[in-house]
Amino acid sequence: MEFGFSEEQREVQGLARKMLTEQVSAASLAGYDEYREPRFDQSLWQQLLEAGLPSVAVQQRYGGMGFGFMELALFIEEVGRSIAPVPAVAHCVSALLPIQRFASEAMKEAILPAAVAGEILLTAALSEPLNEDPGDPRAVVASREGEALVLTGCKTAVPFAAQADRILLAARTEDGVAVVLLDPASAGVTLESLQVTSFEPQCELLLEAVRVPAADVISARDGASIMRWIAERTTAAVCAHQLGASDCAMRMAASYTSQRKQFDVPVATFQAVGHRMADCYIDVECLRLTTYQAVSLLDSDVAATTEVQIAKIWAGDTGHRVSYRAQHVHGGTGIDREYPLWRYCLWLRQNEMTLGCSAALVAGLGKRIAEGEALFG
Amino acid sequence: MNIQFSKEQLALRDELRAYFAQLMTPELVAECERDMGEGGGPLWREALQKMGHDGWIGVGWPEALGGRGMTPLEQFIFVEEIMRAGYPFPFLTTESVGPVLAEHGNDWIKRELVPKILKGELLIAIGYSEPGAGTDLASLKTSAVRDGDDWIINGQKMWTSLAHFCDYTWLAVRTDPGAAKKHKGISMFLVPNSDPGWSCTPVHTLGAVRTNATFYDNIRVSKDHLVGELHGGWKLITGQLNRERLSLINFGPISQLFNQVVRWAGSARLPAGGRVIDQPWVQQNLGRCRALIECMKLIVYKQSWAMTEGVLEMADASAAKVYGSEGFIEVYRMLGEIVGQAGLLRSTCPQTTAEAGKIERLYRTASIITFGGGANEIQRDIISAAGLWMPRASR
Repeated sequence: MEFGFSEEQREVQGLARKMLTEQVSAASLAGYDEYREPRFDQSLWQQLLEAGLPSVAVQQRYGGMGFGFMELALFIEEVGRSIAPVPAVAHCVSALLPIQRFASEAMKEAILPAAVAGEILLTAALSEPLNEDPGDPRAVVASREGEALVLTGCKTAVPFAAQADRILLAARTEDGVAVVLLDPASAGVTLESLQVTSFEPQCELLLEAVRVPAADVISARDGASIMRWIAERTTAAVCAHQLGASDCAMRMAASYTSQRKQFDVPVATFQAVGHRMADCYIDVECLRLTTYQAVSLLDSDVAATTEVQIAKIWAGDTGHRVSYRAQHVHGGTGIDREYPLWRYCLWLRQNEMTLGCSAALVAGLGKRIAEGEALFG
Repeated sequence: MNIQFSKEQLALRDELRAYFAQLMTPELVAECERDMGEGGGPLWREALQKMGHDGWIGVGWPEALGGRGMTPLEQFIFVEEIMRAGYPFPFLTTESVGPVLAEHGNDWIKRELVPKILKGELLIAIGYSEPGAGTDLASLKTSAVRDGDDWIINGQKMWTSLAHFCDYTWLAVRTDPGAAKKHKGISMFLVPNSDPGWSCTPVHTLGAVRTNATFYDNIRVSKDHLVGELHGGWKLITGQLNRERLSLINFGPISQLFNQVVRWAGSARLPAGGRVIDQPWVQQNLGRCRALIECMKLIVYKQSWAMTEGVLEMADASAAKVYGSEGFIEVYRMLGEIVGQAGLLRSTCPQTTAEAGKIERLYRTASIITFGGGANEIQRDIISAAGLWMPRASR
């Protein structure tokens, strides 16, 4: 059992924190407020790619750094801490990892080096309206046309769909679940942009008899387990993002209340304020431990369904509670758009609701317990 | 970062599980049940000495002190398993006062007393609180006055739990009434409970757990009984409390109770059909408890790891104490809702079940550690100050 970081892990953390602190600021983020521009800093993304951070978990033969999911999650935690406008979770976790794991050698050769170099951007469409189980797609169906598939239906909340060159998605077939890597330029694809709370560029993806050639099919019928593999890793990555964001929001509130004076003393000295912040500290610590546990198990390819569910329950609860406590102890300043907290609150909400809210996950975990799973060892 | 036990640690856990399965005879279980989970009975003592002589109590202690030389993580696995087995382990002696004595005790203490702790032959109660000194512990009045080479001790302590069957009391006394700051005039003594000047009267609590008021009437002890530096007791108290906070939050029994309730709810049938566990609200409670207890587990694992590495943070020890003590109460409530009316029946009532009877009692005793071991308000003060660098109000 080891709760410390290896030297490599500290290096990834340190490099990511340094680059993101230098390049992301309230001023740089302001340019994307209210969808003025798509929230994607391409120049920062290119620099991160050149530093090797998004491809930290890609094997060296495809141009990556050859580390694991833990190192990638630490990078994403830093993206969360800075709420940087980059497609780290979508590109690195939801797409790069499964392609490396499940795709044919030909697809890997075609996609991975280009994605590592930043020549192409990847994303994945994991959500459907009222369906947060990516392994059980209902809204997109595929029929066979020889070795090719023809897709019809819709996905929602697809991050960076309008910027991406390829979109990984699953479709229901008559004999299973297919996973494909869609070229959004294909005939029959429509992207309708969504204005989501965090300003992240997202789209609804509409498919009208879209032909996906055999070469772009990752799995023709056995895709359910692949999609659950992706969902668990993406969920854990969202937790890591939430961890960085909530830690930063909490420290902002601690620092503000230490300086802000009322009745001639810092408001931090009021026990009621200090205790709210102590509760934030405990919540963030719980999110940290459950996230690191889930990531570390996934990194070792150990079954981690329970641990991922628990981490996401904490991501939802911690995000919600830290957001409101941080706003509250700031007084009006917390919601003033001249002060940086408000954008964090948007992200804490975004992550809370992504890939299952706490209530749904508690119900899911409870159901598994009723089925005799998830007891303590 | 790798949050899994090593093969060796898992093997140790299995070995301990098998060991305790043998140790916990039905007679011992019945005795512990009768003593309300506190211990102190003859079979309980016998079992403690057996563990000591088999080398388990000091599994994570250095060999030089009579331990087995493993790390705090192995020590933690031992405590977790013994508590899981339902044995009321005297962790205040072995896990909190014992290590402080090993670190700060004089030669006599290290030679005579510490080995006895590891052999399960010596038990120590903690004498801090007084009628007028609780959270503001440094205002304590019990005194020790020098008389030649001896010290004469007088005063009264409150909430001296387990004192009625312990051998010594780890006693905080005022040795310098004139100290400019009141916490700088405090020293620590080990007082033998066998002294004629020592007496105690029971205090019965909501959860039927007995605690004590203890009285110290002209007790004469030699200077060997002073622990650490004269007037330097405060540091030892805070060190001991840090360790106590960690050992209060043990995840073994609560995970066991969770599993028991799941098994019960999975087999109990509802009169209208279906199982108790098929009800959505029951699954909701179980999901919430599962997520809560998982964190308790991770928090204590991390603390044991941090102790092994020597990187234990004060804020994290306090966070563990607050989270754990408040979490226990929530879990007992939610599991109690699942067992329903049976959760209101005393364990002595033949109509109850093992898990429901346990929940009825635990629900009554659970408040103790939100204020015991340092009130949670003080812990939250420590967290915001030490963990988030927030300034504190002066008191």
